[in-house]
Amino acid sequence: MTEQRESWWGPIALLMLLLAFSMDLLVWQLSGGVELSSIVERMLLGFTLAFGITSFALLLISIGALHQHVRWKEQVVGLFLLAGLGLSLSNWQMAGSLESLRSEGVMLFSGMTAMLAAIGLVFGLLLALVTGREHVRDPLLDLDSTGGDVSLELDD
Amino acid sequence: MWNVSDPWIGFWLPLALLCLATGFWLTDRKDSRRRLSTVTFFASMVIIVLFGTRTRGGDSSETALLAVLLHMIVPVSLMAIGTLIATFSGPSPVGPLPRGLRPLGFLMAIGGLLWIGLMLISEPPDAIANGIGETIWGAWVNVFLSILVLVAALAGSFCIMMGEERNKEASTLAILTIAGGWMFYEIMQNGSEGLEASGWHQIHWEQMMFLIGGLLGSVTAVLAFIALVYMAEKRAPDPDVIAPLTEEEKAVVDAVLRLNLELEGADE
Repeated sequence: MTEQRESWWGPIALLMLLLAFSMDLLVWQLSGGVELSSIVERMLLGFTLAFGITSFALLLISIGALHQHVRWKEQVVGLFLLAGLGLSLSNWQMAGSLESLRSEGVMLFSGMTAMLAAIGLVFGLLLALVTGREHVRDPLLDLDSTGGDVSLELDD
Repeated sequence: MWNVSDPWIGFWLPLALLCLATGFWLTDRKDSRRRLSTVTFFASMVIIVLFGTRTRGGDSSETALLAVLLHMIVPVSLMAIGTLIATFSGPSPVGPLPRGLRPLGFLMAIGGLLWIGLMLISEPPDAIANGIGETIWGAWVNVFLSILVLVAALAGSFCIMMGEERNKEASTLAILTIAGGWMFYEIMQNGSEGLEASGWHQIHWEQMMFLIGGLLGSVTAVLAFIALVYMAEKRAPDPDVIAPLTEEEKAVVDAVLRLNLELEGADE
């Protein structure tokens, strides 16, 4: 049993991958397919934009939380460069259109809120179900203390 | 110049202020910036609300996103409050609510999910019925259903792998996976009210793939941040060697120790 528990993540990760591929295959079959290059292009745009926005958000949080002991130069300058790199690459991919960049950023927020809502629902339900488990009461909890007064009966 | 209807001022600036407010909130309790975090948070909320009230759904993608979030806030809150009620009315020692509320909690959580299902078969409001609003709403639903199926399957199979008769938990999560999967299949096969199946396919290939890349990008940015902090700390010079105590300091320490030892001796 212990050995089975140690390797729980392997089969579960496989199941998740299988489900994700099945969902994509279903849409693929129903839609009649799509060019792989456009999928890669969209994924790359999502990657660079999210990288830039997250780095910028972390930069602002870091600036807000600066204190005398922090090694701020590396942190702030580093994050500034990372945010600049991510946002510049995204802007380049969008052919310099700030309007499109804004709308894709909004799409990221929409997806992230949906993701959080779904994860919250599942783990909230799981928590509610797990905390509702009835256990057999431990008989030791029903015992009264003798206050240290113990008598032993020895059998012959 | 400072027009709240401008998305840069009405939407993106408050988001930046929210990040700053988070930074302020992380400071020491005695730091004056800690108090500033609440002010900054409420200021950004006020600007976003003003932006939302002064614009209409078709004006910009930001307003459309707010319309989608406003549309989804009731079912999502229902699910969140329902799961909290179910958790805190359970038989565990941390459950201060009456036991009778537990079924109501589950009912609310499932009701929220059914509400979202109902939205798919009813005509969406104007703000999210056309253009960018429709795409944002479609992406929200698509991502929600996909993640619901995947995470519910993950949690359900985790329950089975852990054993100890967690059949009830696993069955509930399996029902959630099947329900989510069925809704996903329905919208991809037959479309929904106001959006044809081909529109859902386009949203799936364009927005879903964009968001998968986005998730990877966010994780990479967080890892890069950790790497930056690690590098900065590694480059930090060793703290200076502390000078030994002076004779005067030694005398003070000696007096304090003697006083405490004498007090302890007197107590015994």
